Amino acid sequence: MDMFENLLSGYRALDLTDEKGFFCGKILATLGIEVIKVEPPGGDPARSIPPFLNGEPDINNSLYWLSFNTDKHSITLNLEFKRGRALFRKLVAKCDFLIESFKPGYLDSIGLGYIVLTKINPRIILTSITPFGQKGPYSGFKGSELVVSAMSGIMSTNGDSDRSPLREGPDTIYFESGAAAALGTVMAHYVREKTGEGQQVDVSMQEVAVKRTSSNLLVWEFDKCLIKRAGTIRTIGARSTHWIWECKDGYIFWSFMGGKPGSQGNRAMSKWIDDDGMENPLRVITNWEEFDMAAQDVSKDLLDAQQEAIRQFFLRHTKKEITEEGFKRGLNACAINDPSDILENPQLKARDYWANINSLKTDNPLKYPKYFFLSNQTKNFVKSAAPVVGEYNDVIYRNELKLSAKEITKLESSGVI
Amino acid sequence: MLSKNSGVKDMAQPALQGIKVLDFGWALVGSLTGKHLADNGAKVIRVESSTRIDLSRTNRMVKISSGNNPDDKPWYTHLNTSKLGLVLNLKKPQVKSIIKKLIQWADVINENFTPGTLSKLGIDYNFVKTIKPDIIMLSSSAYGQTGPLAYEWGVDGTGLAMSGYLDQTGWPDRTPVGANAPFGDVVLPYINAMAIIAALDYKRRTGKGQYIDTSIVEVCVHSNTPNLLDYQANNHFRKRNGNRIDYASPHGAFPCKGEDRWCTIAVFNENEWQAFCHVIGNPAWTKDPKFTDMKSRKQNEDELENLISQWTSQYTDYEVMYKMQTAGVPAGVVQTMADIVDGDPQLREREFLLPIKNPELGVFGHPTPAYKLTKTKAKVRHAPSMGEHNEYICINILGLSDEEFAELVGQNVFE
Repeated sequence: MDMFENLLSGYRALDLTDEKGFFCGKILATLGIEVIKVEPPGGDPARSIPPFLNGEPDINNSLYWLSFNTDKHSITLNLEFKRGRALFRKLVAKCDFLIESFKPGYLDSIGLGYIVLTKINPRIILTSITPFGQKGPYSGFKGSELVVSAMSGIMSTNGDSDRSPLREGPDTIYFESGAAAALGTVMAHYVREKTGEGQQVDVSMQEVAVKRTSSNLLVWEFDKCLIKRAGTIRTIGARSTHWIWECKDGYIFWSFMGGKPGSQGNRAMSKWIDDDGMENPLRVITNWEEFDMAAQDVSKDLLDAQQEAIRQFFLRHTKKEITEEGFKRGLNACAINDPSDILENPQLKARDYWANINSLKTDNPLKYPKYFFLSNQTKNFVKSAAPVVGEYNDVIYRNELKLSAKEITKLESSGVI
Repeated sequence: MLSKNSGVKDMAQPALQGIKVLDFGWALVGSLTGKHLADNGAKVIRVESSTRIDLSRTNRMVKISSGNNPDDKPWYTHLNTSKLGLVLNLKKPQVKSIIKKLIQWADVINENFTPGTLSKLGIDYNFVKTIKPDIIMLSSSAYGQTGPLAYEWGVDGTGLAMSGYLDQTGWPDRTPVGANAPFGDVVLPYINAMAIIAALDYKRRTGKGQYIDTSIVEVCVHSNTPNLLDYQANNHFRKRNGNRIDYASPHGAFPCKGEDRWCTIAVFNENEWQAFCHVIGNPAWTKDPKFTDMKSRKQNEDELENLISQWTSQYTDYEVMYKMQTAGVPAGVVQTMADIVDGDPQLREREFLLPIKNPELGVFGHPTPAYKLTKTKAKVRHAPSMGEHNEYICINILGLSDEEFAELVGQNVFE
């Protein structure tokens, strides 16, 4: 039996997504699936999302686009044209997956709905990633990271209480929806290899995001209590404590927790405050394993005094001191990394986490995250840069669909490809 | 639109029917990885011990949960649907024979103990593959199984801090913040379950199993890639910037009628801007050159947001959303948990929470997979109580005799 370098080498996907669905195809490409982005002539509109290489807006310069389309190929094809759709049907016959993020109903409206696709290729798996899902009262709504974050409830728990609710910095919902879609797609593939039959995978970004707020939903469902945004305070049960702190040159993540989970860190914190010669209201606790923040005999004044001492302590130290010395002491604190910290992180370096990718127009390769998981048997890595617009046209139209040079020229001049 | 599969017969079985999983997963990442497999029909045996009880079985976020009953925790139930429950004290030597039988039975092993724990217990991958060479085994942890930080403690916040999520989230003039909802702890299980199923397909094609190693931190870093490239290529650090992004304006949460009610609006292009202006009645300020194109709106965003807030404050959040969406402008209410659980008709349509009867807690909503396979539908059942299936697993699945089972009970291995 032939061995494959990746888990799913030998399969092909057509990727029709915009930024809402980039991650699904990116993940599938690391599994060895040949992922072909189908872009309108002139390129995917998402190629205009900043930041840009050298700050210069250009169709092949979007660092956002380059980030999330690694290892994909690109062809141009105008699905609004009849001739474009005819070519697309030929491609559907030769692929295993189709990923899309159009408004529900759009593919039907251009004669490329799921039923039509199955008639061309009954094995096809159609993965649809949309803000609210394929049917239901909001399915026709427009959505984006911000809008879906709001509708999912995530936003109501993020931000400072005296200002508006906040979105999360990275496009977490696009990312998570892409991962959920990749799981659904691979699962449908597993079924298809047993039954010979494909199916549609319907991913709602809103529902994906809601699944993250499971514990907050329970607090409402059982106790009719609303978890709301509270800045750097994390709301857990009866008592809430800070989990983000300012330090001398940046910020630190450190949860002040009771019971066994917090015991090692709390003990290390108390010791370090002592070693610094500071006043130490943590010292009164002798058995941190039994320290129950919710207990009646732990006063709010004590918790406040302890947190004030911790605040003062962090302000005395740098990110580097707190992480390096802190790991030795068992503090379990973690610096809030900026991009430079991340790229220099010794753990990621030791794991060979970075792939050096030569992108267009850069003298030196740029470091990209290399993998989503490691395997002892297969290499499921990010290997090549995102494609320039239409770099795969020749391979597909000339070599595979056997179109003549004359036909290709005609398609180009009429705006089909 | 979802197609009616006329002429195509429904595949009644869930997708992963027939797959057998030995699941040591706990906390969030391990539990949710097993849940994805179990909800989709895999037979998942969740192995746990009261001597090292799962965090979610002690969590008392709701009043109904007591201090000493591991089975009255709805959060545990949310995380562990559709599994079979086996309680085993892995430190007892008599358990080894059961573990060997479980390994022989399983196609897949899932675990997320602190790295090194399974080695201490004598059941790491090197041991497992001597019993079942083609097993697929997956370990997940905060930092991964190797490297200088492999054995360090980590939680969801570790991933947020290490990956740049927190660096990017919050107001530019304030300390970073994060949502009261896990991120890496929920994303990683999707990757885990996907890798496991892809490995099953690889095994179908090659006959080979494998060992998979995943990290919360490493998965989270992917989401921050544009900023990593921006720093490398342009030596530029993007600063966290509230709700604003560089390619849309307006782009924020605006105050509406009522107490602490907000609606988000996101305008990405000229068409949406024109539609937006129309919805708010084309007031004179929208013609001011300060706001007529994206670039000028970005430069005058404070003023723009104030003007919009004056308009949104006259309406309820849902009114603003419907007015905007009807005109083709992306907009969504900042929904609270109450809005979601009691109201949202869209999520209800998708059965996002399936009412299931739990023996201790009664009927309440259990999360279903957010990715819907239209033919091989998930089947979600309630989570097992401590040791609920001890006898069934030992006798019906592993083939122990009644006497052998009774002997093990006598040795107190089921604790």
